[in-house]
Amino acid sequence: MSVFDATHRSAPVRVRRRPWGEWLTGYAFVLPATLVIGVFGLFPIVYALYMSVHRWRIRQGAFLGLDQYQRTVGDFGAFGVFLGGVALIGVAHWLWTDAFKGRAVAPMVTRLVAATTLLFAGIAFALGWQAMFAAGDARFLMGLTRTFYYGFLSVPVQIVLALVIASLLFQRLPGRAFYRMLFFLPYVTPTVAGAAVFRAIFSPREERLANTALGWLGIDPQRWLFEIRPVGQLLFGDFLARFGVELTGFWAGPSLALFTIILFGIWTYTGYNAVIFLAGLGNIPKELYEAAEIDGASGPQRFMHVTVPLLAPVTFYLTVLGFIGTFQAFTQLYVMREAGARGSVDTASLVIFDTFYQRSEFGLAAAQSVVLFVIILAMTLLQNRLFGRRALRG
Amino acid sequence: MAEIRSRSGAPRRGRLPIAGMPGMMPGHLLVYLALTIGALLSMTPFLVMISQSLMTLGETLTRQPWPASPQWVNYAEAWRDADFGRYFRNSVIITATVILGVVTTCTLAGYAFARIRFPGRNLLFTVLLATLMIPGTVTFIPGFLLVRGDIVPWGSWLNTLPALTVPFMSTAFIIFLFRQFFAQIPEELWDAARIDGAGHLRFLTTVVLPMSRAVVTTATLLTFVHAWNEFLWPLLVTTNPTWRPLAVGLANFIDEAGARTHLLMAGSVITIVPVLVLYFFTQRQFTEGIATSGLKG
Repeated sequence: MSVFDATHRSAPVRVRRRPWGEWLTGYAFVLPATLVIGVFGLFPIVYALYMSVHRWRIRQGAFLGLDQYQRTVGDFGAFGVFLGGVALIGVAHWLWTDAFKGRAVAPMVTRLVAATTLLFAGIAFALGWQAMFAAGDARFLMGLTRTFYYGFLSVPVQIVLALVIASLLFQRLPGRAFYRMLFFLPYVTPTVAGAAVFRAIFSPREERLANTALGWLGIDPQRWLFEIRPVGQLLFGDFLARFGVELTGFWAGPSLALFTIILFGIWTYTGYNAVIFLAGLGNIPKELYEAAEIDGASGPQRFMHVTVPLLAPVTFYLTVLGFIGTFQAFTQLYVMREAGARGSVDTASLVIFDTFYQRSEFGLAAAQSVVLFVIILAMTLLQNRLFGRRALRG
Repeated sequence: MAEIRSRSGAPRRGRLPIAGMPGMMPGHLLVYLALTIGALLSMTPFLVMISQSLMTLGETLTRQPWPASPQWVNYAEAWRDADFGRYFRNSVIITATVILGVVTTCTLAGYAFARIRFPGRNLLFTVLLATLMIPGTVTFIPGFLLVRGDIVPWGSWLNTLPALTVPFMSTAFIIFLFRQFFAQIPEELWDAARIDGAGHLRFLTTVVLPMSRAVVTTATLLTFVHAWNEFLWPLLVTTNPTWRPLAVGLANFIDEAGARTHLLMAGSVITIVPVLVLYFFTQRQFTEGIATSGLKG
């Protein structure tokens, strides 16, 4: 710039002669990125809200107010109770962990309070959901249930498996780089191609790999991606039938078709999570283990009291990422859904897509997408409250 | 990381520590066994894909694990049948354009957020980061109307290259990545550059970027994988094959190929190969880049 600047080169606090020039450069630098993200990332949120309160079948129609939201969730009171249930789960968990840490005066009392809160959370959750279901859009709400299955059955499994793999890889054995590469490969594989192969493996044909493997175990071939019966029924149905119990509804679990797609999700992300855990393990100072060893902590104790707490931030990050990912998962579901599965794999994002693409109800689809967004946001905040504060400092 | 390890991680009693469990597992054999089983499970889909892509149609209907004689002709047939040549070219052009756009816009923005002070900087950065939480399922509907020209009268972009590339030309995550890296560059270098009369742009292009090879590579690889993999958006904005990328072409081919699994697997291999080649050559940088960038998130 000028000679003036040179005289200031060692000054720790920079007094700019021309802050305007500096500001302008700054704005110019961030402009392209801000434009792209603003137009295609932020603006659509606002516009989705606008669309959701209008009839919008291909072209914009009449103002409908909150009608389409009402159609989606059935009853706002019920939706409120439902979200309140989610919030209460957070409160209960917080009470519980607080008691667990021994900070509270009387741990038993706190636990009791936590358990009661959890009970109420469950009741609110169930009642709210039931009332929503009675009046709301069954397709969308079933889609949400399937989204929950997808998230809650795949993310925890991914994380536990990834932690095991990362712990094994962390020993600096010869060939670990090779193993790490193999485990990571599914993550970089294009989803459509991976899903195409899963369709071939989990075909209802007897001679395909999945059914062949079941044959080795003496199990009858399954219809996999075509099977609408829930896994709970397939696994325990015969057993429970002996007691005259029929497993149906939520606790029967996802259809085998959706379960197969959940397996695909686990296959894709476990290696990715393992690689991130591996980096997290590398960041734990060895001194802590040495100190724990001197204090007489056994191997499992060191794992539980040093490794797990210090990996908490990583676990938090992966959980949030996993849930956001599964809640908006689309490609694998789209590619692996068979007409024969009769909608039993349609998660909320697929229902939204169909409302938009097949039925051309743009306004309704926008309302559904906003509801999904609110739920993702609530869950992220919940996780943030549950683990965030502790995790980010850990 | 490596330094910390070598300083204090002297092997104790000849045992290798499992994470947090030093000395828990005396036999490496068990570890290798577990890793090998896991790796095999993880590799199975790839093995199935390759073997079936080389089978005859008849062979795909048996339990035979490997073709009697590899049918390389399947690849040629799939390539012709589904117009994979065109899709492949499209995907290459789209991905290259997106990478160019992302690296340009995100380098500039990351640099500004790290090293230039201007009013509203932190607020803007926070707002941009918040977009990472917004699901694609919310943005795709208005996004579609945008590129169709319903909202802004710029005409329809459907079936054009900009529709497939412009929306992806910047992401908050990559900006974040660059910002983290640029913030660590010593202030003295900037001082020196200014004495030489350089402004921010020249400093960025002549000093900062040449020392940022690692982060640029990571950004490129991440963008490559995502752009190559993108599915929902191209499905919506390509109504004809002119600019249809490989992922959408392959998804269509699943229906067309029907029971011709061997061709479908050949098509899948064609889709995967570019990513795999890139990954094999850069895998160290790739995994380490993802690991460190992931942790800082």
